[in-house]
Amino acid sequence: MDATESAAVLARARQGDSEAFRALVERHSRSVFRLAFRMTGNEQDAEDVVQESFLRAYKQLGRFESRANFGTWLYRIVSNCSVDLMRAKQARHDQSRGDSLDEALDLPATDLPNPERQAQSAEIQRRVQGALAALSPLERAAFTLRHYEGRSIEEISRTLGLGTSAAKHSVFRAVKKLRAALAPLRSQES
Amino acid sequence: MKHFSEDELTLYYYGEGRRRENVERHLDECAACAKVYREIAGTLAMIAAPDVPERGDQYGLEVWQRIRHRLPERDGSWLGQWFRWDRLSVAAAAAALVLVAFLAGRTSRDTAAPPAPTTLPVNTVADGDAGDARQRILLTSVADHLDRSERVLTDIMNAPNSGDISTAQGWADDLLTTSRLYRQDAVEAGERSVATVLDDLERSLLEIVHSPSRISAADLEQIRRRIDAAALLFKVRVMSDELRQREQPPAPSSPRTSTRKVS
Repeated sequence: MDATESAAVLARARQGDSEAFRALVERHSRSVFRLAFRMTGNEQDAEDVVQESFLRAYKQLGRFESRANFGTWLYRIVSNCSVDLMRAKQARHDQSRGDSLDEALDLPATDLPNPERQAQSAEIQRRVQGALAALSPLERAAFTLRHYEGRSIEEISRTLGLGTSAAKHSVFRAVKKLRAALAPLRSQES
Repeated sequence: MKHFSEDELTLYYYGEGRRRENVERHLDECAACAKVYREIAGTLAMIAAPDVPERGDQYGLEVWQRIRHRLPERDGSWLGQWFRWDRLSVAAAAAALVLVAFLAGRTSRDTAAPPAPTTLPVNTVADGDAGDARQRILLTSVADHLDRSERVLTDIMNAPNSGDISTAQGWADDLLTTSRLYRQDAVEAGERSVATVLDDLERSLLEIVHSPSRISAADLEQIRRRIDAAALLFKVRVMSDELRQREQPPAPSSPRTSTRKVS
């Protein structure tokens, strides 16, 4: 789909043509899933975010500025859907959880008979996943956008609808928590 | 000597921050800040992007099939609402036009050549024979495709209550890609009813493809029930027959009109 065709499809979708919206869904689904998975760290959650994001996009398409980039606009919706889903999950979990960071990092040691290095790498990954899971939804979203997606603080602030300072501090808090959580691994390595 | 904070060093790691040259110079000179920076960089280097599970070429279609019946009401601006009314009036005018054309066709049936089926787009003179030929090729291809799909659906409907459906799945997988292309062609050609049948067909093909090869009786029954509920086999057969009829080139104009004039 070239730029002209893309603009035509978008224009039709904005006028309510569901076939045109379908073309947009088919075109963007994979990239939406990739971002949703990085944000949530969970395949099923990512699938839920993909569907919710497109439903939200369809609902709000009338308000989309045709001069804007649809991919960027959708990216913003996906990021916010991910934050909403993580918040909802966290609210449910918080009722039965104490200190989430400690609990998330209290992982059982691997018992697979792999070579030491492989086991260490798996341990690092498990620790990292645990540490990411312990971040607040906003911290995780901001960190994902900065660290995995390479977005600048300015872009993160626009994507998540935050002030620049709030976006920056979400990233800083995430990095601090991750440093604390992964410090034992760093000392093992050094 | 002014030290840099962890936050400033984090920004520096990510290539942001305003005083990058100063930070760089400072890190060369200050062992304490260099140590903190190494810790930050070392931690962040551990956090590699997770492997994202693969999603195939059909993924977009799967997503669409999951959401298409859940599409909500659109949020619209006042301008959007106005356009809705506008669209309604256009639709009403179009409906009136179709009615007039229909009545005119019925009253002039004896004197004119057989009318083209209503779903066929009206070709302009400029389109000419090439357009007709393209349309006939599309109709033939879609009719063949529907026949093949009918065989797969029939196999599924008649399969033993549980067992291996991998052969039917293989066919369904092949048909799925073709079906999408034909649906897009049909939409572009204004063949809405053909596109709708192909859309329903894609949904069932997708379900067949994504079922386990060794399917349980319950899962198979569920697929069959959906095929039945959508009257899919019936629609596929009827559409195929209709397209076969339309494949035939129009009969040459008979001289009846002039004969009548003479008489």
